[in-house]
Amino acid sequence: MTDDLALVERFLRARGEDEFRTLYRAHTPALYALALRLTGGDQGEAEDLVQESWVRAVRALSSFRARSALRSWLCGLLVNVRRERIRADWRTVDAPDIEPAADTSGPDDALDLERAIGALPEGARDVFVLHDIYGYTHREIAEMLGIVEGTSKSQLTRARTLLRSSLP
Amino acid sequence: MTDLPRERQPDPALEERVVSTLVAAGLVQRRRAWPIWVAAAAAVVVLAIGVSELRPKHTAVRGNTYVLMLYEDSSYRPAPKGHGAERVAELARWADSLDAAGKFERGGHLVGPGPIGGLFMIRAANDSDAARMAATCPFTKWGGRLEVKRFEE
Repeated sequence: MTDDLALVERFLRARGEDEFRTLYRAHTPALYALALRLTGGDQGEAEDLVQESWVRAVRALSSFRARSALRSWLCGLLVNVRRERIRADWRTVDAPDIEPAADTSGPDDALDLERAIGALPEGARDVFVLHDIYGYTHREIAEMLGIVEGTSKSQLTRARTLLRSSLP
Repeated sequence: MTDLPRERQPDPALEERVVSTLVAAGLVQRRRAWPIWVAAAAAVVVLAIGVSELRPKHTAVRGNTYVLMLYEDSSYRPAPKGHGAERVAELARWADSLDAAGKFERGGHLVGPGPIGGLFMIRAANDSDAARMAATCPFTKWGGRLEVKRFEE
């Protein structure tokens, strides 16, 4: 993580393109995977999220301190960009709640799980992805999402219950 | 923990879009095309020959700064879901082309209530030159309205 801080400091000195690309390449695969999960696999929307997250991150990088890992800071930004978009676009607000978990007849268990995660309600899905896939603690998730730890825990329980009932 | 992949490589074009967007917003400095010593050496040569004969072609930058305000009125057609990045990239390419001619200062989104979604600051020789440059902005083809104002400090 100290490497990240060094990269950030090097970038901030000149805000150079090469230094930015180094940061981008180090963290974008994780951001993109997270964005795909939060959007239920919508590649265009996931790319939009990654782009917007980097724009915000670069604006705010000077306030980044090694208090948290750069990756979790970036993931938190991305999750919050996604939430703002959902709030701003009423058409998508309820979609994750009411859409069925698509076609779950395929033989691939991982694919079934991806689909089921994509169909979770927003709050439960964000916490599940961050906790059970990315390994963040409830304290880190609470900080990222601006919620209390108890909410993170209850959303995780809710997500797991829903997943158990939706998977074959 | 659930054993699903935690990393996925996006389309390589995304990196170029992100970089172009950041450059257009003035948040990242484009890499120098030539090493700095080449530029310095060229400057010495120019001085030796005589500045008046080799004045840069983009003398328009000696004009004024103009602000292009991007109005997202009722006629504006927002990008279809998932295609916002393409529009930003198109605007960034337009800004890059002005930048290459020394006619671009900065630009970006405006966040908050009101119809103005963003602005660009450009350099133009005069009002009509600024209007001509504004007409090439891709924003208008999406139904957006552009307003051009001369900026005076």
